[in-house]
Amino acid sequence: MAQSWHLEAEASAGRGVTARRFRLANGLGLIAAIDRRAPIVALQTWFRVGSRHERPGATGMAHLFEHLMFGQTEQLPPGEFDRMVERTGGESNAATWVDWTYYRLSLPARDLALGVRLEAERMQHLVLETGPVESERDVVTNERRERVEDDVDGWLDEQLMAHAFTEHPYRWPTIGWMEDIRALALPDIRAFYRTWYAPNNATIVCVGDFDEQQLRELIEQHYGHIPPAQLPEVSHVTEPEQTRERIVRAPKPIATDRLLIGYKAPGQDDRDWAALEIVSTLLAGCPSARLHRKLVIQDESASSVDAQLTPFRDPSLLRLAVTTARGHSADEIVQTIDRELATLRETPPSASEVEKAKALAETDFWSSLVDVDGKAEALGHYEAALGDFRKLDVIAKRLTAVTAEDVARVVRSYLVPAKRTIVIAEPEDPDAPESEEDGE
Amino acid sequence: MSGPVVIVEPSPDTPLVWFDISIRGGASADPIGIEGLHRHAALLARRGAGTRDRAALDETLDSLGAALDISVSRDSVTLSGLALSRHLDAVIALCADVLADPLFSEEEHARLLRETPQVLDEIRDDDSALATRWFDWLCCPTHPYGRTSLGTESSLLRIERQAALELWKKEVVANNLVIGLAGDIDEATAARVVQRLTERLPRGNRPTTIVEDTGLDTEARSGRRLILVDKPDRTQAQIRIGHLALRYGHPDTPAISIAEAALGGMFSSRLMQEIRVKRGWSYGAGCALRRSRLPHWFEIWTAAGIDVSGPCVQLTLELFADYAANGPTDDEVDFARSYLVGAMPFHVATARQRMQLAVRDAVFELPAGYTANLPQVVAQLSADEVRAACARHLRPEDTVTVAVTTAEQAKDALSGASAGPLTVVSHDEY
Repeated sequence: MAQSWHLEAEASAGRGVTARRFRLANGLGLIAAIDRRAPIVALQTWFRVGSRHERPGATGMAHLFEHLMFGQTEQLPPGEFDRMVERTGGESNAATWVDWTYYRLSLPARDLALGVRLEAERMQHLVLETGPVESERDVVTNERRERVEDDVDGWLDEQLMAHAFTEHPYRWPTIGWMEDIRALALPDIRAFYRTWYAPNNATIVCVGDFDEQQLRELIEQHYGHIPPAQLPEVSHVTEPEQTRERIVRAPKPIATDRLLIGYKAPGQDDRDWAALEIVSTLLAGCPSARLHRKLVIQDESASSVDAQLTPFRDPSLLRLAVTTARGHSADEIVQTIDRELATLRETPPSASEVEKAKALAETDFWSSLVDVDGKAEALGHYEAALGDFRKLDVIAKRLTAVTAEDVARVVRSYLVPAKRTIVIAEPEDPDAPESEEDGE
Repeated sequence: MSGPVVIVEPSPDTPLVWFDISIRGGASADPIGIEGLHRHAALLARRGAGTRDRAALDETLDSLGAALDISVSRDSVTLSGLALSRHLDAVIALCADVLADPLFSEEEHARLLRETPQVLDEIRDDDSALATRWFDWLCCPTHPYGRTSLGTESSLLRIERQAALELWKKEVVANNLVIGLAGDIDEATAARVVQRLTERLPRGNRPTTIVEDTGLDTEARSGRRLILVDKPDRTQAQIRIGHLALRYGHPDTPAISIAEAALGGMFSSRLMQEIRVKRGWSYGAGCALRRSRLPHWFEIWTAAGIDVSGPCVQLTLELFADYAANGPTDDEVDFARSYLVGAMPFHVATARQRMQLAVRDAVFELPAGYTANLPQVVAQLSADEVRAACARHLRPEDTVTVAVTTAEQAKDALSGASAGPLTVVSHDEY
């Protein structure tokens, strides 16, 4: 039976672990990596559908499925999926982001067959009826209240994406706008399932203690008969170049100003991405980072500063998040950041400073591969977002090749005011209505 | 005791070594009125040691690709390190300086005193963290675990550099340490690392400031109380409900582990099913006995829409009362037992996990392997034994409920939730 599989690629996924990608005739991908250090398996199903595949007015659809997929199927009554997994001692969960959705099972190795059967069942036979959909809709609205409406960091994140992107689907939140979540119609929900939840839009990633041939036989038995779907052409929207700074401010019940700055950055597979990742570390990725030392330690104008380069398929953002200290303002912080970036633009960092960031990147790389879940997530992300799990190694190598000149160059190219969006939450003042400044 | 407790979990999976150095004591040993002292001392020690000031220490660690973080629990202060194995000796040398020769500079002491109130601000901005902070304070105010590890605006004013230094010297003695090493390290290297970490420390004795498990009135009956932490513009209520319960390691711990799993430790548990699945009132709901060296809280948590915050608290209390009186069903016990036994391999899958569990057990003064072996005990328990433990330890009539929400919208509904007399406090007063 396992002869139906086609071996497409293989690469290392950590010390002593090799990941191999196979494909069935119906398009289903399988990445298998044997790691027998514990009697467990990570079984993840990655679908190449995320919030970018939604349309305005129906945002939150991809994320809603993260909930619905744990519901009733033709073979399983409501709640049975979770009960079957939990009875083994295992756990299930899911995550949705802009480029992908994935479903995660952590199972005792002896229960791998159960996991494959459950995942195949819900890929084909999910029951989407009014009752359970409405129940999960309520849960999602409460999730949104907890993570966005009542969470200033969630609000900053949502506003940043909404204002940094004007055309690209990255502009709407993965969880969806509240009014859209409430309005998602059952026929559209069913259509979304039929469209995207298909073998030719999925890759199964399995890492842990299993026999590879038995796994392939199991998957072929449960998935081999599923026909591929006619996947829609995904329109690749090009975000117009940003030419002016955008600033959004709003009052919130908080103690001090908080700000989130997003500089336009390339997608994760762009060669500049690695240099910007090093920049992110140099600015705020460690205790000796430039902005941390300047804002938190020297000036004491901020209580925290973080940097993150979002690993998106399409052009994304390098984000700086700052919580100001008492008696200081967001505007003051922005001025300091500008001065620090100007210094970095004019004078490349020393070779030792770049080597420092590389050493930290090396530690991060290995840390992400410590357990079977981490390995599966890393492989799944690169496969789903960039089309090839081997990018895990490619990007690690690109990071080691970054030079001080690369750093100065990408700072000059990307970290300029005209290409940034700033969202500021300020302590509430009854006389200060929500406002937008300097919009294009 | 003679020397530190040492736990080594070798594994060559990655070129990384993790180490945890736990110093027994922790926030429960903070002097009354000087809450936050342990945290202050530990953070200060990390801000310069040996020949390096803060900037030099940070720069050296970062250049090695390493991390050295401080965490403070009720029972211990822990230095958690991560190093590439080729740089382990250099990172351990820096850590040994932090333990034996911290600078405790005046400049950093003053800076930290200015910084900490801003951490309080960040907690006030975060509803979930704020609910936990208030609950920890008010669940049992006379209990050592009611003392905040962070401190308060007023207690921070009483922290002196000399007191922090003296505390560090008193508690950072070899006999008071639990040292865990995991990852790309062999036993011989581990022995050398332990020697390096402790060679400049006095052997010392267990400090007398560590709170002992005596005189804690875990049977105290307080009745129900409800504290509404008023914060403007909320759309939800962050809810905590609980009471002082037993110590992790008490003979009933295995039975209570089953009880907490069946009530709120899984997606299939009662709280999740009743609050999220049946009613859609919340994204989640769960419960746990807090793991600590002394008796600690049994706590239920959820976050409900503000319009259903009153009914949600009332329902939760009704579920809790029913559970305490009748316990889990036979089927629920069977299910939870199966889950707990099957889940243990996930908690001990990596060397780091095994090391951290063992360090925690040692800090809690439990027998070696206590947590890892718990499933074997759990597997033998009957449903009647679990129900009897629920009756002994769950006290729904003595619960403290904390709800962080907007009083104007939620006060009336919460008043009618049968959660006891309601007190409204402002979110920024603690």
